[in-house]
Amino acid sequence: MNMLALLFATPLAAAILSIIARKQRMITLVAVVATALEVVLALLISAKTASGSVVALTGSFAAPALSCIVLVTIAVTGFFCALYSSGYFAVEVAKGIVGFRRVRQYFALVHLFLLAMFVATLTTAPMIMWIAIELTTLVTAFLVSFYNKPSAIEAAWKYLIINSVGLLLGFLGTLLFFTCLSDAGTALVTWDTLRAAASHLNPSIAKISFVLVLIGYGTKVGFVPMHTWKPDVYSKVPTPVAMLFSGPLVNVALLALLQFKIITDAAIGSAFTGRMLIVFGLASVLLAACVIFTQWNFKRLFAYSGIEHAGIMALGFGFGGIGTFAAILHMLYHTLAKSVLFTATGNVFLKYSSTKIERVRGMLTTLPATTIVFIAGFLATVGLPPFGIFFTEFYIVAAGIGAHPIATAGLILSLAVVFIGFLKQAMRMTFGAPPKGVSAGEGSYATLLPPMVLLGILFIASVYLPFGVKAFIETAAASL
Amino acid sequence: MQHLILQLTLILEFAIFASVVFMHLVKKNATTIHLYTLQSAATAALLLIAALRHLSPMLLLAVTATVIVKVCLTPYFLARLIDTHQLKFSTSTYLNSPLTLLILAGFVAFAHSPFFAPLVALSQGNPTLVLISIATLLGSLFLLINRKGAISQILGIISIENSIVTFALFSGLEQSPALELGIAFDMLIWVLVAALFTSMLYRQFGTIDVTTMRKLTDSPQ
Repeated sequence: MNMLALLFATPLAAAILSIIARKQRMITLVAVVATALEVVLALLISAKTASGSVVALTGSFAAPALSCIVLVTIAVTGFFCALYSSGYFAVEVAKGIVGFRRVRQYFALVHLFLLAMFVATLTTAPMIMWIAIELTTLVTAFLVSFYNKPSAIEAAWKYLIINSVGLLLGFLGTLLFFTCLSDAGTALVTWDTLRAAASHLNPSIAKISFVLVLIGYGTKVGFVPMHTWKPDVYSKVPTPVAMLFSGPLVNVALLALLQFKIITDAAIGSAFTGRMLIVFGLASVLLAACVIFTQWNFKRLFAYSGIEHAGIMALGFGFGGIGTFAAILHMLYHTLAKSVLFTATGNVFLKYSSTKIERVRGMLTTLPATTIVFIAGFLATVGLPPFGIFFTEFYIVAAGIGAHPIATAGLILSLAVVFIGFLKQAMRMTFGAPPKGVSAGEGSYATLLPPMVLLGILFIASVYLPFGVKAFIETAAASL
Repeated sequence: MQHLILQLTLILEFAIFASVVFMHLVKKNATTIHLYTLQSAATAALLLIAALRHLSPMLLLAVTATVIVKVCLTPYFLARLIDTHQLKFSTSTYLNSPLTLLILAGFVAFAHSPFFAPLVALSQGNPTLVLISIATLLGSLFLLINRKGAISQILGIISIENSIVTFALFSGLEQSPALELGIAFDMLIWVLVAALFTSMLYRQFGTIDVTTMRKLTDSPQ
């Protein structure tokens, strides 16, 4: 069986099995096995692509280098999400917060979410990518409203409306790119077709189209000013699935944007797209720096951190050169760092039953092992050495300092402010006396091991990047 | 014959724009849905004209899918939503009717501005058709912002989709029929999900006025 077909069939089968399963243990087993298989397939597909082979399915799906990198981030995060969710929901079910039916729905939705992201990443057709990304909105809206509270429903509605409007504008932008084709006919338009015909694109249309797709997919990424759904959604989704929102989903939307950047650059040069990405990227990092001090909910805090990192990646792609390589590497490190943070704070939530920073005190006393992972995840996220984000941010600054000194200065200033703001909030949670009624003691291994293993992977990937992986990322960067 | 087709196309496109204008003005949810049905029927008729001109059976299939999804199923689901929760009257708008009409007139003028000139240049025949499509798109976006009801927001989004379809049609940007079917299916799922969430909103808040939703702004304590 074709590897891509198997990759699509796995989450679909897992979703069906989750719906028909009668026991929670069965559902979690299916989830872990299916996502593990997806990791293996993603790595095999990437290895095959790296070796020079073409991995494709019916002409509508293929796995070039950049797609493979995004694919691996989806599969790995999906695996840890499934693994961590198993332990997390065992606790929530024991506490009576959710029942078996909700857990069944949760896992089915997570599998469908992963499937939609796989399709969006591997399709060769922009319109199929649009449909798949739209499907991620529809599937995840139910994950946002998962706890069925008024605030969760409100967040889900806001998410649905904002993202749908954004994606419709992206749809219009996508259609406008098709004007470069002399005769689109009834055949499926692919990225390759558009790239080949890009020189026929009217420069004014190219600019309008790129702005529309930037607004469309930028809404999904969470660029300022289309970011407003993000803090609300992050604060309401079940904590394990927040890592899929913060890493893979952002990467998928960025991938869509980059595909259109290639076509626009071929039509009118890279100055326009670079400038647009710098503007949106800088706005995102500056806003994150402005609001990070005033956050009272740690999941909202991570949402703003996500907006900041999306901005950093946009700046890297906008600066170009070494910045492009660094931005792709940043995708990997940011995905891992946020997964560490969300799994660690999942344990914090299970212990304190609150996401409000004011109510989380003395983590070091109550959850010593989790706190160490949390602090390490925090250091990795704010970009302190030896973690990889330090190096990627350094490269992005180096790429921008010559040609874009003002934007780079804004980035450096924002990074410093975010570091101080984040540090202040992390310290408030770590030290002090725990609230009454919160006893000391870690949860089960099922909730403690995933953040630890993730931190180990992040640390190893930060200090040692195998030559093959580096070369693969360079190949992906060269395609942009 | 060619002249007759052009006149018919112009009337249908004008009907689509008029439906958006009236969606801004009417007070009853049911009337807004009827206006959307009319808009979708006009969109399907425009697609049918294109299908007959190209003599494409596959495009006819896409027209059928559009009729089923947008003219039949979407209004049916939304009407059921109104009946279930007795949501007969829409919640108010932010701006009053005269001001709303003034802004809509502004959109028409803006559509004629040099800003949209590159898009008008894409026109396959009469540039007025593309201009009306752009004005319809802007009017639908405004519908989403100006009206406070969840149903109006749903209608605003699906109306944007209709205006994009007509824009693509007049600019010669039709997709492959298989993809048209995929997009129609996607829209159907979207409407179902949005209708479900409207129900959930009503159950939680006792109203579908989105301005009453204030649960996300709770205190730091």
